[in-house]
Amino acid sequence: MKNFRVTQQEIVLVVFVALFAICSVFLNGFLTTDNILTLLQNVAVLGILGLAMAIVVIGRGIDISLIAALAVPPGLVLQLVQYGYTLPFAISLGLGIAIIFGLVNGWLIAYAEVPSLFATLATGIFFAGLGQAFLFELEVVQWSEGMNGFEWLGQGSLLGVPMPIVMFGIACLAVAFLLRRTRVGAYIYAIGDNLAASRVTGIPVRPIVVLQYVLAALIGCFAGLVLASSVNSMPTRIYSSTLIYDVILVVVLGGIGLSGGKGGVINVILGTLLIGTMLNSMTIMDLPYAAQNLFKGIVLLIAVIADTLLNPRNEETAQQGDI
Amino acid sequence: MTDTVISLEKATKLYSGVAAIEDIDFDLWRGEIHALVGENGAGKSTLTKVMAGVVTLSSGTMKIDGKEAAPSTPLEARHLGVAMVFQENSLVPTMTVAQNLFLGQERYFNRLRGINIAAQQFLQSLNFDVSPTAVVDTLGAAKKQMVEIARAVLHKAKVIIFDEPTASLTPEERKYFFDLVRNLKGRGVSIIFISHALEEALELADRITVLRDSKAVVTDDAANFDRARIVKAMVGRDLSDTLYGTKKTTVRRAGKRVLTIQNLKMAPMVKNNSLSVFAGQVTGVFGLVGAGRTETFKIVAGVIKRDFFHGGEVILHQKPVRYRVPAPAIKAGIAYITEDRKAEGFFETFSIARNIYLGLLAKFPKGRAILSKREQTQAGSNWIERLNVRAIGDAAKMIELSGGNQQKVVIAKSLVQEPDIIIFDEPTRGVDVGAIEEIHELINRLADEGKAVVMISSYLPEVMGLSDRILVSRQGKVVEELSALEATEEKIMYAAIH
Repeated sequence: MKNFRVTQQEIVLVVFVALFAICSVFLNGFLTTDNILTLLQNVAVLGILGLAMAIVVIGRGIDISLIAALAVPPGLVLQLVQYGYTLPFAISLGLGIAIIFGLVNGWLIAYAEVPSLFATLATGIFFAGLGQAFLFELEVVQWSEGMNGFEWLGQGSLLGVPMPIVMFGIACLAVAFLLRRTRVGAYIYAIGDNLAASRVTGIPVRPIVVLQYVLAALIGCFAGLVLASSVNSMPTRIYSSTLIYDVILVVVLGGIGLSGGKGGVINVILGTLLIGTMLNSMTIMDLPYAAQNLFKGIVLLIAVIADTLLNPRNEETAQQGDI
Repeated sequence: MTDTVISLEKATKLYSGVAAIEDIDFDLWRGEIHALVGENGAGKSTLTKVMAGVVTLSSGTMKIDGKEAAPSTPLEARHLGVAMVFQENSLVPTMTVAQNLFLGQERYFNRLRGINIAAQQFLQSLNFDVSPTAVVDTLGAAKKQMVEIARAVLHKAKVIIFDEPTASLTPEERKYFFDLVRNLKGRGVSIIFISHALEEALELADRITVLRDSKAVVTDDAANFDRARIVKAMVGRDLSDTLYGTKKTTVRRAGKRVLTIQNLKMAPMVKNNSLSVFAGQVTGVFGLVGAGRTETFKIVAGVIKRDFFHGGEVILHQKPVRYRVPAPAIKAGIAYITEDRKAEGFFETFSIARNIYLGLLAKFPKGRAILSKREQTQAGSNWIERLNVRAIGDAAKMIELSGGNQQKVVIAKSLVQEPDIIIFDEPTRGVDVGAIEEIHELINRLADEGKAVVMISSYLPEVMGLSDRILVSRQGKVVEELSALEATEEKIMYAAIH
């Protein structure tokens, strides 16, 4: 077959199926309904964050501050309710602060033209610090009476499927619709493929970039609410964890090229499943935390190298027009 | 017997299947000045890049000093004694002249004073009037070129290749450059230079090679050439029946004045530029590299910004406008079709249809918040047919198309926005011969339909064959305006050069 070409998506799918098969055969207790549901439940929040990251990465950016958006606005919601404010008020304030956070990120990147990596690194630290210094009384913000009724977001199940997975599914559908079926989605892909050409074509590049970061912050906040309601608290120290690396791992491993303009929700799902299987099998094998990090590091490295090889941007093609 | 430094046999270089040079045999003798002439896209740059190690041959052999060589980086080529002075400077602008000269040759411990003294002595031995402690950024074009040349000589280059060396020089500097090249020749260095100015080639070169459509057409002693013979070899037929049709005998009447530019300024490229554009006509804008043509029209289209103070005026349909980004210019009916389609023309991983649909979405977003696959396919197939785009399949990605087809899609992406003023910037650069004719027909058709068409081109026959009005630009402003009927190559060239 002359026209046969493997896409990154197919490679990831094959790797996932292989890993899943190996785990099912060799690991006791892997292939049980309970374990699979636990696996999915554990990675649901990661998957939702992966969707937020995907929107930004497709537009050829990166959002390191995502974990701050996950921790601070939901933490604020829980804290306000503790103080006795009503739940709707707290949630609208939380969403409001997430939007402002996204606007600041977007403005820095689109208008002040700070590289996204550095801009979000700085704003993430600032935002997390702001939360820890002024907003929260304790590092873990506890669930309080006023929140009751809200835990359905992360607890219980719908038709046998745990709620976090349902939420991941809903988020997937919403983001897939945005990326594939709307004008804004088409703009995001265009900006990721070629920013200069988007500009010359008349696409409002800067507003769309800002919108990307606002969406990312809102989805991050949503992930935080799901997380908080499933564990009945908001552990704000999560900011200092290595969660953000897992999110990048999901996106890159799933096959959304860091060079932008490629991939979609299906890649996030694949990446999430792959990471979920990996983490779950390592837990079953009882690998120490340090060894798990080592392993994740190696996988991320391989994924990034594969990304560079599969989506090259070399000089030969860059100079094509100049004969 | 003459001594051959570089010889190429059956040299071919393909860019994604399209030949940039094809079966070229080429010899360079020791101590000769060899000029390469040919149209844009004839393969001159590629031929020299092969020798300088910037690109490697797809097939064929190259021998340097009788030994087969295939340098894959400029550094390897330099070790073989071949140095290239590029169109764009390859100096580090923030370093001093001396630092640039010795770049890549530093010892572990580098003493500034040491290299300054060495550089001073070396520059003096070449009779170059450049201070070794001057920062390169502060030097003029001619001095930068001197530093480049000095560096090549310092690296003991046997062969120095110049790509359009005189394009940015003043006449005095040009004369100085000629002396310099003759001086190098006296030292036994072989020189290759690419030039668009035929007079230069005739005056300076010992031998001339003419390239056309990726092939070497003729190589002969410069003494055996005259202007007419070179032009004939370049074009492949007599000037009277070029590819671009016969010289115009009728011109379109000017319609309404749609665009006026007054005293437009953007330092340092555009200086007090004033011009007008009328509907129903092709306005050709000719000029050499660095004449500020592209910048002027990019300002009109909002791609770049003019000077904030004393920036002049752009008047569109009797109203002064100032666009900060291209989007409002497009809304106002201006289309700018870029000269660098790879960088800012198209979306390489998308299909043809999606590229065109994006143009539509950007201009007419109303009612298109949700994408319509049907509309995208329709827009795609409609324009593929209208502009005769040839692709492997409907789902072909832009990157897989030839230069001509890419250009057609970029044009379609702008035309779908229904503009009134269409600015073509070098519309046939890097485009195959068949597509050139089609693009020219399209330009004529647009003017016949009553659109105001601006065509920026560095290629004289194109300007003369298509334009109704010709504006000649020089050093940041339009210096001459000619009707197509009164224009001759000589008149245009005379205005474009000092």
